[in-house]
Amino acid sequence: MNPFREDLVARSLPEPCTVVIFGATGDLTHRKLVPALYNLAVDGELPTGVKIVGFARRDKSDGEFRDGLEKINRKVSRSGHDERVWAPFVENVFYHRSEFADADGYRRLAERLDAIDAEGGGKGNRLFYIASAPEYFDDILIQLKEAGLNQAAEGCWSRVIVEKPFGTDLATAAHLNEVVNATFEENSTYRIDHYLGKETAQNLMVLRFANAIFEPLWNSKHISHVQVTCAENLGMEGGRGGYYDKSGALRDMVQNHLLQLLSLVAMEPPTDLTADGVRDEKVKVIRSLRQWDTPEKVAENVVRAQYVAGHVDGEPVPGYRDEDRVDPESETEAYVALRLMIDTWRWSGVPFYIRMGKRLPKKSTEISVHFKDAPCVLFNSCGVGSPGGNVLVIRIQPDEGISLRMVSKIPGNSLRLEPVKMDFHYDTSFGKTSPEAYERLLLDAIAGDATLFARRDEVEEAWKFIDHIERAWHESETAPPMEEYVAGSWGPREADRLLARDGNVWRRL
Amino acid sequence: MTVETPCPETCPELGIEVQVSEIDKELRKLWEQDEARTNASLINLVVYSEKPGSLVENSAIIRNLTVDHACRAILVEINPEVPDPTLRAWITAHCHLSNGRKSVCCEQIAFHLTGRVTGRFRNTVFSHLNSDLPLVFWWQGELSGILTERLVSVMDRLIVDSSNWADPAASFRLIEEAAQANSDLILQDHEWTRTWQFRLGVAGLFDNPAMQEALPVIDAVEICHHPKNRNAALMLLAWLAVQAGWKDRTPGGYAEFETGAGSVIRVTLAEDDRGPALVSLTVRAGDRAIRVRQRPGGDHVERWVETELCHLSSLSPADPTSDEALVGLQLNRGGQTSLFRKILPRFRRMLEANA
Repeated sequence: MNPFREDLVARSLPEPCTVVIFGATGDLTHRKLVPALYNLAVDGELPTGVKIVGFARRDKSDGEFRDGLEKINRKVSRSGHDERVWAPFVENVFYHRSEFADADGYRRLAERLDAIDAEGGGKGNRLFYIASAPEYFDDILIQLKEAGLNQAAEGCWSRVIVEKPFGTDLATAAHLNEVVNATFEENSTYRIDHYLGKETAQNLMVLRFANAIFEPLWNSKHISHVQVTCAENLGMEGGRGGYYDKSGALRDMVQNHLLQLLSLVAMEPPTDLTADGVRDEKVKVIRSLRQWDTPEKVAENVVRAQYVAGHVDGEPVPGYRDEDRVDPESETEAYVALRLMIDTWRWSGVPFYIRMGKRLPKKSTEISVHFKDAPCVLFNSCGVGSPGGNVLVIRIQPDEGISLRMVSKIPGNSLRLEPVKMDFHYDTSFGKTSPEAYERLLLDAIAGDATLFARRDEVEEAWKFIDHIERAWHESETAPPMEEYVAGSWGPREADRLLARDGNVWRRL
Repeated sequence: MTVETPCPETCPELGIEVQVSEIDKELRKLWEQDEARTNASLINLVVYSEKPGSLVENSAIIRNLTVDHACRAILVEINPEVPDPTLRAWITAHCHLSNGRKSVCCEQIAFHLTGRVTGRFRNTVFSHLNSDLPLVFWWQGELSGILTERLVSVMDRLIVDSSNWADPAASFRLIEEAAQANSDLILQDHEWTRTWQFRLGVAGLFDNPAMQEALPVIDAVEICHHPKNRNAALMLLAWLAVQAGWKDRTPGGYAEFETGAGSVIRVTLAEDDRGPALVSLTVRAGDRAIRVRQRPGGDHVERWVETELCHLSSLSPADPTSDEALVGLQLNRGGQTSLFRKILPRFRRMLEANA
């Protein structure tokens, strides 16, 4: 126990360790992971003695690996590139070449990690970050176990972070979970969802449970419906069509990021703020989702679509099937809208709408909580021209913040009501920039705090829900149709009808 | 006697001179002039000084601080040497671009008072606070009789710099007395803030297992500081002693301590007038040692740990040096400063014993 840590920072304590990154030559390592660790070092948050070992198949020396990292870090680092911080930081970065399935490569890795610890006075803590392509996950985990790297020395720890996609359906996710849990204990397994590392996502719980005014209203008595929107103006640039066409909007975004956000909005107050305390409540939400388990129910509550050629930001863009590396006869959705029901006492009768789409007019992720209208008496003559109810908007990205729409009288002698907005922006309200999501999540994993990581049951419950929809789309003879929308528009009309049925409309972003 | 006035005739730095009774009206007019602006405020920040000419200096500080900390700023300069009671006021707004688009502005009201001011000052400040927002009171320089219990009772946070005090022991007593009616008051001392990166460094270096083992047998602590920042050095020492559970060898003394295991720790304090507030800290346990150091003019803190097995080093950012940046850091960090409360009695015993 280090007495000098007490009260110094209000969080779990990160300990010195060696971070081994599998897939070290990839984009994620260069653009996100190493810059995140570097930024933690700039802020003085990275414990002294943290080492990084990149593990990949290409031939590279330590020097070549470091040069490549430096080149990208100079471009992408949030806090710029300071040679005085980089020089000692990069001295602790190493490269280890091996095939992912080569047992000898892992034996050499184990020897090298021991040598690094012996040389640098390391205790033997290890964090394995699996950032490789998903087809190698099994090999890596099995080989880690074979080499004994999953077992920590006495008084130390050995943890694993697994990147998405965590499976492609329930069966593959369950298989991967079996492999992971055969190698690492569940409490040493960190399934990363970078959305949960974003400041506003973390602030959701604070907003709900640290402000007494919201929780009494947070139920079906006062809330009409909730919308979760993830809009992207990009399409399949940079060769991403190859991956995306095999995945689609539902599996790529909804199964993980958006259902995680939904569970934070809809969860009951946890008994405590421990990782399991929070995750117990989140998984109950996913488990309570009404299952759309027939093609008819899916058709009624889920809309899928592909974009056709149009304009985004004034530039002409191709249709989805004409994009680079996309099958011209693809049946993969680039847009999905869902109407979800959560069968709990709190949310009975409250629809939750989720939409995610590519080539929409702008990039924006947000949650909007739509409160019921005030009674149609006094100022609120309902019908045409009524100013609408209160809306609480939680913006996840960009421009993280919170706003509340309410009704106000327009100054003047007549009584005219208009909606006005009370706005809170993170960047103008607080003096410091928010850390990147990966910074927070890496630091949490080093500190052993799994609150912002998905647990096995959360992942499997989410896949169970998603699988019903995928089966209806791809295995049913009465599969719901693939709709179309013009690139640069807000999606297909059928998605509007999904809400109109309940008397609601999508929020204009 | 020469009397310095803040602005003899015109004073563009402080904005428009207004009648005190017209301040609210004039502020409203200010906003009506340009509808594109957003009035932002998260705190009331009162900056108090008895230094002649401080209003203009502090207005420049507020201009920079409001980039990151939206507030209603109330600047106060008092000259108690002048017998005649006078009160002048100015208003302005500091505006900054947000994301290159919107202009976000913070209001500033500046007051210059002379004569017997205790009651007038308090009422003037109280009546111009933004309701519901916390009151952060930045007291510059020596404390005076104006720091009364009634004034402290409305503060949420009091920021001081004990390196400016001729008699820190007496000044801390004054704060203690004034804060009796406000047990929730958060006290922040620049001298404590100046120790932040050194404390982080020590904590990080003691994560090393070899140094943790050495905790009971620590035998020497060496601190080098700027002559002006002895309080920062003593606060750092008090923090080490409290956290590690070291006992005093002599009541209130700090030349020697004793660890729980009975090891005697010899303390050396040295001064370096060319260095930053804290120049270096070395903690030794036999042939093991940790060291945190900031070179003169350097903007990083160097951390070393030396054991039989290894020699590790890393860098972290240095603590800021300007008053403005220190206040910014304190506002950023917020919190209850429970650790400072914890070490304060030990630090004050050290001060009293050596007063």
